[in-house]
Amino acid sequence: MGRGLPVGIVGWGAYIPRYRIKILEIASLWGFDPQLVKSLNIEEKAVANVDEDATTMGWYAARSAITRAGIDVSEVGAIFVGTESKPYAVKPSATIIADALNLPNKKLASDLEFACRAAGEAIRISLGLVSSGMVKYSLVVGSDTAQANPGDVLELTAASGAAAYVIGPKESSVAYFEGYYTYISDTPDFWRRDGSPYPLHGEIFTDEPAYFTHIVNAVKGLMREYSLKPEDFDYVVFHQPNGRFPLKVGLELGFTEAKILPGLLNPWVGNTYNAAALLGLARVLEESKPGQRILLATFGSGAGSDAFSLVVTDEVKSKVDKAVKVTDMLMNKVYIDYGRYVKFRKLLVRV
Amino acid sequence: MSSNNVYVIASSMVRVSRYFSKSYKDLVIDVVNELTSSVGSIDIDYLIVSNVFSDSILEQLDISTILAQELGLTPKPTLRVETGESSGLTAITQGYSLIKSGIADTVLVVGVEKCSEFPTPTMNKHFIKFLDYEVESIYGLSIVNEVSLLMKMYMRKYGYGRDDLSSWSVKMHSNALKNPYAQLRFLITKEQVVRSQVVSDPIRLLDMYPVGDGASAVLLSNRGDIVNNEVLEIVEIAQATSQPLNLREDLLSLPATKTVFNKLLSKSKLDLNDVIIEVHDSYSILGYLIIEELGLVERGRAPSIIDDLDNVNLSGGLKARGHPIGATGVYQVAEVFKIMTTGLGDIRRDSCWGLIHNMSAVDNNSVGVLVRRCSC
Repeated sequence: MGRGLPVGIVGWGAYIPRYRIKILEIASLWGFDPQLVKSLNIEEKAVANVDEDATTMGWYAARSAITRAGIDVSEVGAIFVGTESKPYAVKPSATIIADALNLPNKKLASDLEFACRAAGEAIRISLGLVSSGMVKYSLVVGSDTAQANPGDVLELTAASGAAAYVIGPKESSVAYFEGYYTYISDTPDFWRRDGSPYPLHGEIFTDEPAYFTHIVNAVKGLMREYSLKPEDFDYVVFHQPNGRFPLKVGLELGFTEAKILPGLLNPWVGNTYNAAALLGLARVLEESKPGQRILLATFGSGAGSDAFSLVVTDEVKSKVDKAVKVTDMLMNKVYIDYGRYVKFRKLLVRV
Repeated sequence: MSSNNVYVIASSMVRVSRYFSKSYKDLVIDVVNELTSSVGSIDIDYLIVSNVFSDSILEQLDISTILAQELGLTPKPTLRVETGESSGLTAITQGYSLIKSGIADTVLVVGVEKCSEFPTPTMNKHFIKFLDYEVESIYGLSIVNEVSLLMKMYMRKYGYGRDDLSSWSVKMHSNALKNPYAQLRFLITKEQVVRSQVVSDPIRLLDMYPVGDGASAVLLSNRGDIVNNEVLEIVEIAQATSQPLNLREDLLSLPATKTVFNKLLSKSKLDLNDVIIEVHDSYSILGYLIIEELGLVERGRAPSIIDDLDNVNLSGGLKARGHPIGATGVYQVAEVFKIMTTGLGDIRRDSCWGLIHNMSAVDNNSVGVLVRRCSC
């Protein structure tokens, strides 16, 4: 397999709602042990306002991605939205975002669902579309207002956020794809049945047989196929359901903490599901230097993981300040209490 | 040559763990294959299976027949044993009885449990079934709640602080480090115990057994000479039941366990310090109460002698070896057999006597087995 695909990230964008709730407040209300919060390595999570959803947040991130890419939107031939909190069960979110961005009518558009890794699959599809010449640019959006059953441990982490990437020719990219590897199995670790407002999870099944097995196999598969070693990477970004798992899986795979921490946003943002790993990547792109190598490993329950090796190009420096940065959005925050959180996330049923 | 004695002639087990990609059948096949390859071709007259949750979580009744079919043991007769958490050691006593009565010459006892098939809320619905549903569990009372009351009483009666009762867990983890089949093979400190999650105050996560899957097999026979290795003779068995906790006069004594120990030790003048002992420490406070009931230490003094205890729960006990419910008693016998003969990993003792204790809930019932190394 040849090293390096003719495809790369041309632009990126992010969105983190400015409202935050302290995790200890949720834990205290439901009677969780503060020790649990500490063990999960989480401080606060981002909460979307009443008028925000996966499409509004996705649109914001996508607009930044297109601005950074500096492309003519008429050349975007595909848009994929990875989400598990789409406002309409039937009716694509991709079309809403695409029309709001003035994307051409001649395009592919779909919402993808694979728990938290649908946007990772969207990147894989885009690699194929761009490298085959079927489209020039493909827009990938990962956006979620993550649902969690009130009082469930999941509520300590489920958060809102979005990230978007314009995938296009390597020549104009800020980082090109050097390799990819996807590992999938049928593993029932986390699911939401049709009609159910909240997902359920199988506790320990989300741990070793799901998150760890799939990410480890995807990353090891990638390193094996492309003859890469942990030392070859300058940054590693994992899907981040909490603040602990990415550190644990990273260290297990032989990466140092210093390579994981720059892309670890969960302790301050929460688990933004489809945006989680992609927001981490956006944060890393903001500080990366040309020639550096980044590992991106998504994870979605059910379960699967995509591992990508990216190499940063000279273009990155000129793009960072063209749109709002993750670093800025991390600082721009307003704390809310649980009551307001309940109102924002519409947890009270009103008629 | 057959005799009227009953011997433990072989044992095997898998590490107690969470087996996400192995069914209960896979685990049993693994341990039985290991056991039969260690002893060669031996006719098995009877299969006894100890398992508690087969109908609750595996959708399976008559699991002993299903396993006999799977293992190729048909047309041999089988039996499933269930007496709550003590099922494993009860199964051993049933095997003993079959041989003593002359019904069988050689009995294969298998303990198996799959506890990590479902998340905690589902499993808790099954774990509380060990108590009287109409009197206890219907009110949401579970074993850990009862044990937490005992722990509070013990602390108050003997003037212990919470920190003082962490020594058991620390010791068990230290023991488990040497047991290749133990679930929790890592050291912990007293500070970690008191900082771990509250389960039912004052009981913390590190005061109790971990949830795990396991399978273990023990071969009993009236012929100790059909294998090349050393064997153990089962010298005595004992079983007893007691009133529920709410009807006991002294909550800090364990009546069934007391009856069992009395029977086991009545005929032999043993120095308990020379006996390899495995007790049912599902919660650390129960570990203290059991060794006090055994007479190893006077009442109220157990927490202070734990550091020097080098013949109790060398496996790590339920606390650290793990507690795959129905399989636990079979594990205990399998481990003591190895410790006293071929070695459990690097754990090997030349003691002549072994005492195994298994019980259900807070001493609802209790089972004991006394073994002696035949070369002694």
